[in-house]
Amino acid sequence: MKIIILGAGQVGGSVADHLVGEGNDVTLVDSNDAVLRTLQDRLDLRTVHGDASQPSVLAQAGAEDADMLLAVTASDETNIVACQVAYTLFHTPTKIARIRSSDYLHHKELFGPKAIPIDVLISPEQIVTNQIMHLIEHPDALQVLDFADGRIQLVGIRALTGGPLVGHALRELKDHMPTVDTRVAAIYRQDRAITPVADTVIEADDEVFFVAARRHIRTVMSELRKLDKPGRRIMLAGGGNIGLHLARDLEQRGYNVKLIERDAQRAGKVAEILGKAVVLHGDAADEELLRSENIHEVDVFCSLTNEDEANILSAMLAKRLGAHRVVAIVNRSAYVDLIHSNVLDVAFSPKLATVGSLLAHIRRGDVVAVHSLRRGAAEALEAVAHGDEKTSRVVGRCVRDVKLPPGAVIGAIVRDGDVVLPHQGTVIESDDHLILFVADKRQIPAVERLFQVAVTFI
Amino acid sequence: MEPAVKTVESEVDLREILDPQRVALNLPCMSKKRLLELVADLLASADDEEETDISQILNERERLGSTGIGHGIALPHGRVTGLGAPRAAFATFATPIDFDSSDGIPVSLVFAILVPEDANTQHLRLLAHLARMFSEPTLREELATCREPQEAYRILTEWRGPDST
Repeated sequence: MKIIILGAGQVGGSVADHLVGEGNDVTLVDSNDAVLRTLQDRLDLRTVHGDASQPSVLAQAGAEDADMLLAVTASDETNIVACQVAYTLFHTPTKIARIRSSDYLHHKELFGPKAIPIDVLISPEQIVTNQIMHLIEHPDALQVLDFADGRIQLVGIRALTGGPLVGHALRELKDHMPTVDTRVAAIYRQDRAITPVADTVIEADDEVFFVAARRHIRTVMSELRKLDKPGRRIMLAGGGNIGLHLARDLEQRGYNVKLIERDAQRAGKVAEILGKAVVLHGDAADEELLRSENIHEVDVFCSLTNEDEANILSAMLAKRLGAHRVVAIVNRSAYVDLIHSNVLDVAFSPKLATVGSLLAHIRRGDVVAVHSLRRGAAEALEAVAHGDEKTSRVVGRCVRDVKLPPGAVIGAIVRDGDVVLPHQGTVIESDDHLILFVADKRQIPAVERLFQVAVTFI
Repeated sequence: MEPAVKTVESEVDLREILDPQRVALNLPCMSKKRLLELVADLLASADDEEETDISQILNERERLGSTGIGHGIALPHGRVTGLGAPRAAFATFATPIDFDSSDGIPVSLVFAILVPEDANTQHLRLLAHLARMFSEPTLREELATCREPQEAYRILTEWRGPDST
């Protein structure tokens, strides 16, 4: 795909990195020449220096031929004008923009072909906040991801001795919880993927990914380890956009929140916006501060600053001082590989979370949602089946007859809004939403081909 | 199966859907996106409802699966609300364009079709006719070397099955 990215900041730069890695033809536009040069040295992409919303700059970036425009400059207004220019002058098929100001976002009627022509609004902060919120609600999980507007969730969790199913075969799940339906989509044992079958025996330390209706995930998790009581005492390090959003959401849900911010001025501002949350001015890696704030009583500690190193260190310290569960934002995947689960419970990558949300628009076929998993090595997606027996390779076939590539599993189906957990004999119908887990990202093109309709589909 | 195919051949007359004005040769273009736009321009009509965005319709159909049928041919198509009768356009492109076709060969001959929202079997016949027609190497060769749109129009509309050439 030919993609133009406007804005080479944190989101633009990391998304460019990922999209180039997938073989897309990427052009990056920014008004800062130095930033562009650094990225160009590192990545195989084209850069254009200039004002991102100007028609001449967009033309120079190849807007005539681009399939997609991704406007993620720091300015909402630049992003809006760029999408308008792309729509009117270049007929760009897909226009995605980040709009931060809630003043714009509150008026949904502003967006559409007859108003501001943005096809997809993205909010990386919102995506990251939502996913970390899931981790606070389910402290035992490594990852909790939404499909079908949250009706279905995919959960990654480490199995531990003490979970009733550990040491038993998957077929026994049904006997353990007769009223709960779930599908285990993947198991990673010592970092190697195992395709789960009925005879697969769950071992302690396995990383298990399962799919279930939202209301059932806690019951399923309780089969895999003894669950912690979800705690109400949360400490956040970093009062940036993500820290602030998360603190506000947590307050509203009745959590007990403490937020540490290093910059005095910012701390003051955050304290003004927040209600009940306690805002502390200080360094989250300061042992004295953490101790005096009773870190040993904290249920979940999240480090959310822009610096990976600071986040890792403060989370490690918090863990050693007795915080029950620690989550750190880590963008660099090389760091994530270094961190072992006994020093940090979850290393969360905002970059992967954001890229995942964009991939839904890049994947071929009618793909509704994509989540990148396991540092981007695996992927879960929600794809819609179209056509009939003649024009589709999935519609009208039993699950067992769908020619999925190795490591790919159909975890769930959403049919007319209802969740169906499929059996081998379940027949796929047109307009079914299929939730697929793909253990090896290299198999994605094969999955995309599977969902492509034949030429005779009209 | 065989006799059914024979009847189909005699039923399709491209003159009913293809206007000589909607044939263009050697269009300059460097991408699938631009190709669909140029084809959409050929298909557009002053009678169309204002909100009809043909290139978007073609794009959305392409996203569900490529209409490249191999041998450098593509048959982009889509349904249009409020369209009275099927409408077609034909274009050749100076530079072959990557179209994600099953055989991987870039596309240089494009026959595009718009059909009414409720159309069904009629255009399946049409697509079958086109697929059969373009499977003939001599016809592809003639179209590719054509210099005048009228000539391409004649070749396309006069084709009556493999025996006619």
